[in-house]
Amino acid sequence: MDTAAEITPSPARTVTGHAGAIELAGVAKRFPNGALAVNGINLRIAGGSYCCLLGPSGCGKTTTLRMIAGHEEPTAGEILIDGSNVVGLSPRARGTAMMFQSYALFPHLSVRDNVAFSLRVRGTPRAERYREADQVIEQVQLTEFAARLPGQLSGGQQQRVALARALITRPRVLLLDEPLSALDEFLRLQMRAELREMQRRLGITFVHVTHTQLEAVAVADQVVVMAHGEVRQSSSARGIYAEPRSAYVAQFMGGQNVLRGTVESVAAGIATLRGPGGEGYAVRLGADKALAGQTVEFAVRRDRLSLASSSTVNSITGRVRAIEYQGTFVKMTLTRSGAPDFVAYVDEGAYFRAPVAVGTMASFGWELDEAHLLVSE
Amino acid sequence: MSASATLVAAVGRRRERSWSLSSLLLALPLAAVLVCFVVAPLISVVAVSVFRYDNFAVIPGFTLENYASVLSSRLTLSLYLTMIRLAAITWAVTLVLGFCVAYFLVFHVRSKLIAIGLFLACTVPFWTSNIIRMISWLPLLGRQGIINQALLTTGVIHQPLGFLLYSDFSVIVSYVHLFTIFMIVPIFNAMSRIDPALFEASRDAGASRWQTMRLVVLPLSKSGIVLGSVFVITLVMGDFYVVKVMSGGSLASVVSAMVDDISTLLFPHAAASAVILLVVLTLLVAGIMRLVDIRRELVAER
Amino acid sequence: MAIVSARGGRPWTFYVLAAIFVGYVAFLYGPMLCIYVLSFQGPQGGLTFPMRGAGLHWFNQLLSQGDTGDLIGAISRSLPLAVLVMAITVIVSFAAGMAFRARFPGSNWLFYLVVASLVAPGYVLGIGIGLMFQLLGWNTDWYTSALGAQLSWTLPFGLLIMFAVFGRYDRAYEEAARDLGAFPVQTLRLVVVPMLLPGVIAVALFGFTLSYDEFARTLQTVGSSNTVPIEIWSMTQNVTTPSIYALGTLTTALSFVVIGVSLGTIALIQRRRVGMKSL
Repeated sequence: MDTAAEITPSPARTVTGHAGAIELAGVAKRFPNGALAVNGINLRIAGGSYCCLLGPSGCGKTTTLRMIAGHEEPTAGEILIDGSNVVGLSPRARGTAMMFQSYALFPHLSVRDNVAFSLRVRGTPRAERYREADQVIEQVQLTEFAARLPGQLSGGQQQRVALARALITRPRVLLLDEPLSALDEFLRLQMRAELREMQRRLGITFVHVTHTQLEAVAVADQVVVMAHGEVRQSSSARGIYAEPRSAYVAQFMGGQNVLRGTVESVAAGIATLRGPGGEGYAVRLGADKALAGQTVEFAVRRDRLSLASSSTVNSITGRVRAIEYQGTFVKMTLTRSGAPDFVAYVDEGAYFRAPVAVGTMASFGWELDEAHLLVSE
Repeated sequence: MSASATLVAAVGRRRERSWSLSSLLLALPLAAVLVCFVVAPLISVVAVSVFRYDNFAVIPGFTLENYASVLSSRLTLSLYLTMIRLAAITWAVTLVLGFCVAYFLVFHVRSKLIAIGLFLACTVPFWTSNIIRMISWLPLLGRQGIINQALLTTGVIHQPLGFLLYSDFSVIVSYVHLFTIFMIVPIFNAMSRIDPALFEASRDAGASRWQTMRLVVLPLSKSGIVLGSVFVITLVMGDFYVVKVMSGGSLASVVSAMVDDISTLLFPHAAASAVILLVVLTLLVAGIMRLVDIRRELVAER
Repeated sequence: MAIVSARGGRPWTFYVLAAIFVGYVAFLYGPMLCIYVLSFQGPQGGLTFPMRGAGLHWFNQLLSQGDTGDLIGAISRSLPLAVLVMAITVIVSFAAGMAFRARFPGSNWLFYLVVASLVAPGYVLGIGIGLMFQLLGWNTDWYTSALGAQLSWTLPFGLLIMFAVFGRYDRAYEEAARDLGAFPVQTLRLVVVPMLLPGVIAVALFGFTLSYDEFARTLQTVGSSNTVPIEIWSMTQNVTTPSIYALGTLTTALSFVVIGVSLGTIALIQRRRVGMKSL
């Protein structure tokens, strides 16, 4: 397993020179009960970018976020914000602000007092802090609710209050812990877009923890996939989806079929593989090397397949087990003996011109360049 | 409104009413007991407070002499002053102690199971006899008591301390001993409902620990503090046996004066005094309760 | 839940508050332990330390009625009274707890009545009940006037506990039972009561112990024959031997048995539920 090498250059979109660049160097966290939540991660997040930490629950993403926020201190490693080590500093001194999963709005304070809270503890006079709070409240379109208590607001409104409260101190870095998990599907999509828009407008760094793949690739410049306290891959949203580095990332992100085969020969940078069922595959090696006799894994995107006649190179034949209509495409699941299910996303129009019945046999093939070699872990 | 919507609304209304009817029936036994053994007795007290009496009997009638006698007595004033002093000191001590204990249990004990265990350890004495717990201070506080013996042998003092027993001090020690639990439980309940994420949100906003305490924890514990204060103050104001035993007879309370009245069969006089005490306590409690909607805090409605 | 500094260590306030807590517990139990120890002195024993001899002398003294009036009789009244109060408290406060889940006409009045009976001075209520019985020409007795007086104290407590219990209870269980065709009584018997059993046991514990130790309200309502706390009270007025400690030890031991059984049962139920969940 290779985590140290996963310092991916910042995505192309990011403007250099923005404040709020974050660097984690060998950061680890072991809790007093002995559990190792984060196992020495290295990560660089460009200033002014939108980064998503993505992974299943228990992968250490929230702990990582809380260490950046200063609510946990690492047991090893350094956390740098704009080049200076912030380990040991208070959240305020770090210039970070956090939006909590449950929002953690003070139930006894009005929206205005919640938003003005950090100014209040700084000793800002009432009139001034209310003026500033009202400005931020206006930005999140809650002006008419400023006098209400959090309990009198809907989930989406509460979330805006939490956002306003975090932003009033003009942080360099906004840390969002599963910010959309408490919302229903419709609001989730709406707030997702608003968060992205807010980040673009403010030009500060957003670090957003989520366990939803689509949410991550929809908003983020940089997606960091984590598992078991380690970074599995960090790259642009498109990169992580289209070019997963390992079988783990490919399977976790979805949208890919992971296949395996034994190398029979290598010629002109292309390896010829033989699958466990005798299928023939050809995969471009790129910079990787493969030796004859070695077993390698590769990924094929589910949406880059075409119906093929059986027994050509780079094709799969199986029995149709399920057909799910997905609106813009049709999801077909094939079962094969002795191998995992194979999934194909077939264009909706194409499918209904020539429907396939459940239980019949079908074959799918793909172009050489749609197969993508994976690193074994 | 469409016909079906009207129908749905009507059915909803009927269900609503059937719930409140069954609620009414379920609440009836409680209401009956409290009317018979709280409302009716208090009416009896008010009635007797305007009766006449002589050395042998209570004579039904109407007079305000009993009230005049109670209100004009210098003794009444001094009794109230004594009790207000004792109640104020006890309230302050139990508030600080109860707040600290509840805060420790809710926010500092990591295991929930251990927190419940320690909470029960605080509660168990409440389920044993108050009088026994009160007299258990006698072997400690007396002139030959453990505390004096210990201080004498260690040479801290050369004369036994007299103020430990049969004094304001021993009365207040007993009150704190008996009543702190009434402060701990409501504050513990209020604090248990505070989302621990609020501490981090407060820290994230740059608040110091003291600011978090003042701006977040205290306001959110207010309902518990109010409820606990009502308990402690009314318990002290209604006490007669602690003040009698632990002061060695040197102090008297409003109620212990009533006990003396009753023992000499001065029922109307005691009743008038009781009515005055009830009025005072009602005003006090109503004043404190204005600070918080107790019903909303206690009752979980759907 | 616990406050932990970002490094995972304990903040200094932890140690201060832990010290206060330990001090409070010592303050709570220390004196009680003293009288338990002192009650096991020999015949020369006095009211304070040092211990003079050891033995059960003062317990014998107590039971042979050398020092007291009618202790056995007092216990024979206190126990059935406590059981009676416990039973009524459980049933009435459970019903009222269910009632208070919805607003009903007069619910506010009833609530304030509950608060009033909780904060009214016990002795004043006792006088009131005594006077009421006198005006009605009835005799006060432990199973009539004292029973009512004690209920005015235990029912509010029972109701407060039921508020807490129902606050954490999801009504969907009842609706599910009704949905599956259960009649109201079946719903109650098969779903509500078993689910809330730990809370019900807690109410029973309060009902029993508060009655068994009740003093202020009982004093004027018990009639001619005493209950245990009043027996103790009269001993504090005229007994200056360790037999009063012996009585304290005896009655506290009984309370502890009741507390132990109740809490043990609750713990057993909870453990079995956790066990079921993990299956």
